[in-house]
Amino acid sequence: MPLHLLFKSLQRRKVVTTLLLVQLAMTFALLLNSILLAQQTRQQLQQSTGLPLQQTLQVQLKPTTIALRQYPALGDLLTRQLEAIRTVPGVVAVAYSNQGPLLQGGNNGNVEDPDREELSRANAVPLYTVSADFFNVLQLQVLAGELPQHEIAVDGVAKSPVVITQSLANKVFDDKPAVGRLVNRGPVAAVVADFYGQRWAGTVNYNSIQVAPLLGVDWGYSLLIRTTSDSTTKVRQALTQVLQQVDSNIEIFYIRTLAEQQQLLYSNEFGLASLLSLLSALMLLVSMISSYSNAYFHTLKHQQEIGIKRALGASKGRIFTELLSENWLTTALGAVAGVGCALVLNQVLAQVISIPSLNWWLPLLTCTVLLLCVTVATWYPATIATRISPATATKAL
Amino acid sequence: MEQLFYYLKVSWFSIKRAPLPYMLTVLILSLGLGVFFSNATFYYRMNSDPLPDKSDKLFFPMLMLVPYQCSDCKPPPVLSYSNVAKLDVSTIPSAKAAMYSADGYLRQHAAQPPTPVTVRITQRDFFSMFDVPLLHGTIWADNQARDELLLSKATAEKILGRTDVVGQQLLLDDRLFTIIGVLDDWQMLPKLYDAYNRQYLNPVEDVYLPLESGYDYNYLSSTNSSTFDDADFRKLATDGRNKALHQLQYWVQLDTPAQQQAYRQFMANLVTDEKAAGRHPSAEANQLVMLRDIVRYFGGESADIKAFAIVTLLFLLVSVFNASHLSLNRYLSNQYEFSLRRALGANRSQLQMQLLVDMGLMSTFTLAGAAVIAYGCTKLMNSLWPANHLFAGWDVQLMLALAVLTLFCSYLVTLYPSLRASFGSLNKQLKE
Repeated sequence: MPLHLLFKSLQRRKVVTTLLLVQLAMTFALLLNSILLAQQTRQQLQQSTGLPLQQTLQVQLKPTTIALRQYPALGDLLTRQLEAIRTVPGVVAVAYSNQGPLLQGGNNGNVEDPDREELSRANAVPLYTVSADFFNVLQLQVLAGELPQHEIAVDGVAKSPVVITQSLANKVFDDKPAVGRLVNRGPVAAVVADFYGQRWAGTVNYNSIQVAPLLGVDWGYSLLIRTTSDSTTKVRQALTQVLQQVDSNIEIFYIRTLAEQQQLLYSNEFGLASLLSLLSALMLLVSMISSYSNAYFHTLKHQQEIGIKRALGASKGRIFTELLSENWLTTALGAVAGVGCALVLNQVLAQVISIPSLNWWLPLLTCTVLLLCVTVATWYPATIATRISPATATKAL
Repeated sequence: MEQLFYYLKVSWFSIKRAPLPYMLTVLILSLGLGVFFSNATFYYRMNSDPLPDKSDKLFFPMLMLVPYQCSDCKPPPVLSYSNVAKLDVSTIPSAKAAMYSADGYLRQHAAQPPTPVTVRITQRDFFSMFDVPLLHGTIWADNQARDELLLSKATAEKILGRTDVVGQQLLLDDRLFTIIGVLDDWQMLPKLYDAYNRQYLNPVEDVYLPLESGYDYNYLSSTNSSTFDDADFRKLATDGRNKALHQLQYWVQLDTPAQQQAYRQFMANLVTDEKAAGRHPSAEANQLVMLRDIVRYFGGESADIKAFAIVTLLFLLVSVFNASHLSLNRYLSNQYEFSLRRALGANRSQLQMQLLVDMGLMSTFTLAGAAVIAYGCTKLMNSLWPANHLFAGWDVQLMLALAVLTLFCSYLVTLYPSLRASFGSLNKQLKE
C-alpha cells in the first residue's frame, strides 16, 4: 500500500492515532533509558576488582565484651580464631583486617609524600591494618619490593612499613619507583597490583595496607578467608560454629563471598535498573494492548471496506500486510518522536542519578524491539481481517 | 436513588457486553496508579516534616574551625568536642544539645547473652527539642557525666519484659547503669537530627546516654568521625575532648529571626576571634542549617526514589493515554446505543449522568486494583531497596490522595469519549 494512503488511513482516526503515538513515544523513551541504565549497572558489576571474588569469604564480626576488644585479650582472640579457621577443610588462607575490600566507605585517610604534600596528596584512601596473610588471601601480585612478614604496631616508635597499590604509588610518586620512599603513614615496603577498595574513595583502586595489630575493634573487624574453589559453601556453613566455639562473646554481622559483597555495592543501581526494566516491560505490554485494540477495532469498524477490497481482487496477504503496515508506520512515527522524549528523559534523569548519554545504535535496537512487539500484538487482528469474505462487500449495497 | 440503580444497571450490562476491553482499561489504569502511588509513598514520607511546628526553629551550626587551610571548603559535617564547647558558651539559643550515635551491648546480668543496641549519646535538651515523649521516669538533671540511661519502650519490653523499670540496673557494655526513664512510642521519620550519610533513613535509637559519659567510656561514633591532627580514637576522654576529633552533631533552638541573626553574628565573631588567636587558618565558612533543609544540605536526598518518581509519573501518563484509547474504542463501539437513547428522548444531561456513573464504577474497580498493585510494588521496592523500608507505610491521608487521583484519572479517561457520545451529530452517529 502506498505511503500516502497509509497516512490517509491514519488521518481518519486522528484522536486514536495521536493517543497511540504519544504512548509509543513515551514507551520508547523509557525503554531506551532503562536499557542504558541496565547496561551501566552490568558494566559496574563486571568491572575488574583484582580480587578472587567467588572463593573468598568475608566474616564481619565484633567482640561483645570490652575486654575482648582490647589487647592482650584481642590479640589472643585473633590468634585463636585464625588457627581454628585454618583447620577447616577447604581453607587455603585466612587473615584479619580492620575492614574488607569492596565497601562503600570505611576507615580512610590521606596518603602523601611528605616532601610534596599538596602535589602528591591522595585523599580518602582506604587504610587497612592486616595480618601478613592478607596478600595471600586476596592473591595480590607483588609488583615491586617485599611484603612485610611481621606485624609492627601502626602507632609504635618505628613506623610500620606500608604496602600500596600500583595506581596509588603512581599518584603519590609521579610514576617513579616507590619502594624505599616515605609516605606520611610510613616507609613503602612493596607495591601490589590494584584492587577495588572503597566506592566513595577518591579512586577505587587506591589502597594503603599495613601489617600490624588491630588498633581497636570498636567498629568491628573482618576475617578474610580464601577457600578451594569447590569448598566455599561448606566452609561458609562451618564458620559460625567454628568461631562460636573459639569464643562465644562475639557478634557475627554477616558472612559473605566477595562476589556477594560486590553485588551489594551496586544494590541501589541494581534495584533501580530492575524496577525500570519491570516498568519498561509493563509499558511494552500496555503498548501491545493498545496496538492490538487499535487494530482489532479498526478491523471491526472497516469490515465492509475490507470486504470491498477483497471483492475487487485484493489478496489475503495484501490485506494482512496493509494492516501490519499501518501499525508499523505508527510505531516508526512514535519512535521518531520517542528519540526526542528519550533525550529529554535522559537529561532529566542525569540531574538526579548517574546515567550514560544516548548513543546512535540504542534507538535502533529499541525501535526494533518496539516493532517486534507491535507486530506480535497486531498479528491476530490482521489475521481476522484476512478472514473477511468478499461477500461482506454486498452488505454495503 | 432508583435512577442511580438504573444507571448502575445499565453500566453493568455495558461491562458484561464487552468485559475484556473494560477489564483491560481498568487493569492498565490500576497499573499506572499503583506503581505511581507506591513510589509516591516513599517520596512523600521521606520528604515529610517530622516536626512541622519546630523545623524552622531548630538549626545545625557548622564552623570551619579546623587545623588546615582551605579556601573553598564546606565546614566538616560533624564538630569536635572543643568546638561544641565554644558554641555552647552562647546563651542565645532557647535549647541546645550535642549528640552522636554509637553501638553497644545491653544485658540484665553477666550470665545473660548480650543484645546489640544502638545508643544515642546526647544532652538533656535533646528530649525537649525533638519532642521525645517520656512514658516513665525523668531525664538527666544536668549535662554532667552519670551512669544513668533512658530506654526506648521497645527495648525495655525486649530486655526486661515491661516498661515500668525506672530504678532498675542494666549492663551496657559490661558497665552498670541505672534506668532513669523509659520513652513512650516514638519514631521520628525521617530522623533529621542525624541526617549525614543518609542516617535519616534509620530508626531512632534504643538507649540514651549522657554525652560526658559517652566520652568518658570511649564510645566511638558509629556513623561518622574524623581527625584533622594526631588525635587517637581510643582516647576519647582526653584526645577526643582536646584535639580535632570530629564526631558530634550539634543542634540549637532559635525561636525568632532576631535570635537566628544574633546567633549568626555570634558564630562569625567566634571564628574571627579564633583565627586572630591563631587557632585555625581557614576563611570563615559558617553554616547555620535549618532542620527541614538538613538532608538537602548534606546531599542525602534519595536519588533513586527521585529518578523512579520521574519514570512512574511517565508511566502513569502512558497508562492514562492508553486507558483513554481503550475507553474511546469502547464508547465508539457502543455509540449506536447512545445515539438510539438520544433519539428516543434521553437528553444530554441524562447521558452525562450515565457516563458519570460509569466513571464512578470504573474508579471503584481501579482503586481496588491500584491498591493491590501498589501493595505488591511497595513490597518489591522494599526488597530491592531495604534501607527505605521504614517509609513504606500508608496512612489515611495517602489513601485519600490515591482515591482522589483515581477519580481524576478515571474522569480524564472517560471525558473525551463521553463528550463525543453526548455531543456528536445524532444523524451521523445513527448511520455509523
